[in-house]
Amino acid sequence: MGKKYETPLLDELKKGKWPSFVAEMERAAETSEMTGDLLGQVEQSYKEKMGHWKHGGMVGVKGYGSGIVGRFSDLPEKYPGVKEFHTVRINQPSGFFYKSDSLRKIVDIGEKHASSLFNFHGSTGDIQILGVKTSELETIFQQLVSFGFDLGGSGSALRTPSCCVGMARCEFANYDAMHICYNITQAFQDEMHRPIFNYKFKFKFSGCGNDCTASIARADMSIIGTWKDNIRIDQGMVKEYAKKMNLHKYVTSKCPTKCMNYSDTGLEIDDSNCSKCMHCINVMPKALRPGIKGGATILLGSKAPMVSGPRLSMVLVPFYDVAEDAKNGYQWFKDFVGKIWEFWDEYGVNRERIGELIQRVGIGNFLEAIGLEPLPEMVSSPRGNPFVLYEDYVEADEGQGESPQG
Amino acid sequence: MTDETKAQLEEAIVNLIREFVNRKRFKPGDVVKEMEVKFSASDVTKDDVKSAIRELTDSGRLIYGYAGGSFLSLPE
Amino acid sequence: MPDVSGTKRITDVGPHDYHDFLHPVIKNNYGKWKYHEILSTAHMVHVSETGDKIYSVRVGSPRLVSGSFIKDLCDLADKYSEGYLRFTTRNNVEFLLDKEDNIEPLMNDIKKLNLPLGGIGNVVANIVHTQGWIHCHTAASDASGVTKSLMDDLYEYYIDAKLPAKVRIAFACCLNMCGAVHCSDIAVLGIHRRPPKLLSDKIINLCEIPSTIASCPTNAIRPDTYNGKPSVKLIEEACVFCGNCFTVCPGMPISDPLNDGVSIWVGGKVSNARTKPSFSKLAVSYLENDPPRWPKVVEAVKTILDAYKNGAEKGERVGEWIERIGWPKFFKITGFKFTKYHIDDFRLGEATMNYSAQVRQ
Ligand code: HEM
Ligand code: HEM
Ligand code: HEM
Ligand code: SF4
Ligand code: SF4
Ligand code: SF4
Ligand code: SF4
Repeated sequence: MGKKYETPLLDELKKGKWPSFVAEMERAAETSEMTGDLLGQVEQSYKEKMGHWKHGGMVGVKGYGSGIVGRFSDLPEKYPGVKEFHTVRINQPSGFFYKSDSLRKIVDIGEKHASSLFNFHGSTGDIQILGVKTSELETIFQQLVSFGFDLGGSGSALRTPSCCVGMARCEFANYDAMHICYNITQAFQDEMHRPIFNYKFKFKFSGCGNDCTASIARADMSIIGTWKDNIRIDQGMVKEYAKKMNLHKYVTSKCPTKCMNYSDTGLEIDDSNCSKCMHCINVMPKALRPGIKGGATILLGSKAPMVSGPRLSMVLVPFYDVAEDAKNGYQWFKDFVGKIWEFWDEYGVNRERIGELIQRVGIGNFLEAIGLEPLPEMVSSPRGNPFVLYEDYVEADEGQGESPQG
Repeated sequence: MTDETKAQLEEAIVNLIREFVNRKRFKPGDVVKEMEVKFSASDVTKDDVKSAIRELTDSGRLIYGYAGGSFLSLPE
Repeated sequence: MPDVSGTKRITDVGPHDYHDFLHPVIKNNYGKWKYHEILSTAHMVHVSETGDKIYSVRVGSPRLVSGSFIKDLCDLADKYSEGYLRFTTRNNVEFLLDKEDNIEPLMNDIKKLNLPLGGIGNVVANIVHTQGWIHCHTAASDASGVTKSLMDDLYEYYIDAKLPAKVRIAFACCLNMCGAVHCSDIAVLGIHRRPPKLLSDKIINLCEIPSTIASCPTNAIRPDTYNGKPSVKLIEEACVFCGNCFTVCPGMPISDPLNDGVSIWVGGKVSNARTKPSFSKLAVSYLENDPPRWPKVVEAVKTILDAYKNGAEKGERVGEWIERIGWPKFFKITGFKFTKYHIDDFRLGEATMNYSAQVRQ
């Protein structure tokens, strides 16, 4: 197929050493006429410095309100191939592991029924087939389901959960992130495919504080690995590291809680004061390993700036014994999430993320509603501001001498 | 819930969407709240409304739309 | 839509079970990994308690790829890693090999495809980015073009480990920030700078007025009437150009080629190592869109990277380096102008002021 439009600006982006998305679009255009038109429209965007997509619409497969993002060109006469250019989100396998035969099947679908363009992967974690016409959606869906793949989340629904590589290939993993991610994704198919929330909700599972899924910044619920017992130390290997680098400068002095000491007798750690930050383990992976009583800290509430400014997740459950709950099909976790969703359903408004709702109603009220005790682990310090909303007081004739609990 | 109530519930949901077409977009959550009130006499639960919505969307009598949030709508 | 009534339609099968995609060595050593060793910026080995080893070879990808690209990867996986491969959260590809002898021939074949080998260790990691003009309606800038221009220029930092610590760069083309930009060492963020236009004819016909009003984080959108129908008016001074209203109401387009552009943010991180996770902070408040190669953006990022490389101690992330030397010095070294836009005046923003007499003089 010859080139449909001159694209001098985009051609500039074929130069240089990094792999070029323009070259990829041209490769895709060899098998898809739609993509030829996409090149034309994007060239026009480069010329005019603005996009040409319209949003929204009624696009989906029957029964699902999720997994397809509708996209329409605002220049359909000029570029008919991108008149409808929807995205199909496909729920990725845990840890982004694949075998070539499955990948080839997904590619075949995108080449036969769409623009031959893909995202591996979208920011939420899904594989995305770009450039799909409404008429092709059901066929694509049925083919995906036939070899065991399903659509991911979009809209006011549970978004596709994702996790780090975890125990499959990382010695730092404190719990089986891939397993719990797979398990709860299966359990919450309804919440993913049939949007009923106020807005999106995301889970991300990271096996340790390095947080390779950036869950603390972009998941409404962040599940981050930690441990209860002592860091496992191989003193021999510590000595080997000490020969190559200044342990004081690069390891012990950088410990945020100053709980490490290195001397002739070896490395000592006051584990009761270790905040499981992972620094020392990252620097000396052959000498140090997290403890064996692994689990996770559950944090809540991070989100992008929309609508009321960006937030990071904050601690809700300091230690969650994942392995223990796994024996029970993660029932505790599912119930816990259920309570949070119920609260959100009851008190939240349209397009309000859970973090924003908590900000609005107050953290104390939220904790009470979902039945969690306030804990000092939840704060970096108690409040400094004295405007306390004490909720009750005693009259002179009652509760003599007893101080009320606020 | 009896089959009769269920049929009434589904009918009421579709009517609600139809009545407000082009005026108000109903999120599934809004529909649940409306129906809980409307059917408070016939012990219809949240889950009943949810499964009614599911049947309506599975059968194509209602579809999902998206405009800054997911909502229910009549098929074009 | 094809008629599927009568046949039982299968739905909700969920994601494919990952067990089918795990290399046998990974299956056998699941949860038993003891340590890893970085052998080069492009490969590492994980060693198990059982003594088994798995080698990972890492390759950069542009994220937006053709089917042919994926098939090339599949061919390599079939040839060298029994068909097993994975992707990383930052859009790299990893081949998983149990045979050390396969590493070199695999790397040679990857080079023949002109793909970059690297991304492990103290490098500029692959840029996570969003859709931009290729695929999104609210984009204030293009994602793929800026990313490609940056990575072309920073290529040497991806394939060689020349930096004090890992530098994670992210690009988001609007404040929706599909890409976890706000906690990156260097974040490039598309911004609008002019309030949305009010297309009243569209607003009264296409938009739900209450949700349009509610979409605005600063209450800049107020109820009004137009031709006797409910509509909205705008308090322009209160608008922070987030584009949220356009997402809810197509009658309020915010894109404006004359005023759209990007801002640059620095010093954020998500890892908990040493210091707590933190947001990126504003370094450059506005650079105009300059396609196809955004030279000023590339130059600004290079300036930050060079200053960091020269000034930071080994192991220090960008944010930790700036905390140590102080923001005044950061602005002095980089030559970026500190303006009133750098002072947070949004809700609770006063928390970022310096409430002390501790000033590096
Ligand atoms: C009212 C309309 C829309 C809104 C409010 C919206 C909002 C968003 C938001 C907030 C994200 C990031 C979060 C996430 O999905 O997890 C996102 C991502 C995305 N949107 Fe939209 N979007 C809209 C329409 C569209 C349309 C029409 C398309 C495509 C035709 C589209 C394609 C995408 C894609 C592909 C992503 C993923 C980006 C990535 O993974 O980097 N969106 N959108
Ligand atoms: C060691 C502790 C405290 C000291 C030395 C202190 C001192 C003061 C002083 C000197 C004033 C100015 C009064 C005036 O000039 O009219 C003041 C006002 C005030 N203090 Fe405190 N205070 C203390 C603790 C607190 C606490 C614990 C609370 C609240 C629980 C509190 C709440 C207030 C309030 C609300 C005002 C403003 C009253 C008004 O102007 O109407 N203070 N305080
Ligand atoms: C709204 C609340 C508060 C107000 C308006 C307030 C006001 C004041 C004022 C006007 C002074 C006198 C400063 C001076 O002229 O030397 C003062 C001193 C002081 N306040 Fe407060 N205060 C408040 C809350 C508190 C709280 C909650 C604490 C402790 C928990 C506190 C502890 C003190 C102390 C220790 C001093 C003496 C500081 C010094 O002289 O070094 N205040 N406060
Ligand atoms: S988050 Fe921790 S456990 Fe997971 S892959 Fe990263 S370093 Fe490993
Ligand atoms: S993990 Fe962090 S807090 Fe714990 S000992 Fe190591 S450096 Fe210190
Ligand atoms: S960051 Fe904004 S413009 Fe870019 S893809 Fe996400 S929603 Fe669209
Ligand atoms: S762009 Fe954002 S701040 Fe401005 S009017 Fe729209 S919603 Fe409000």
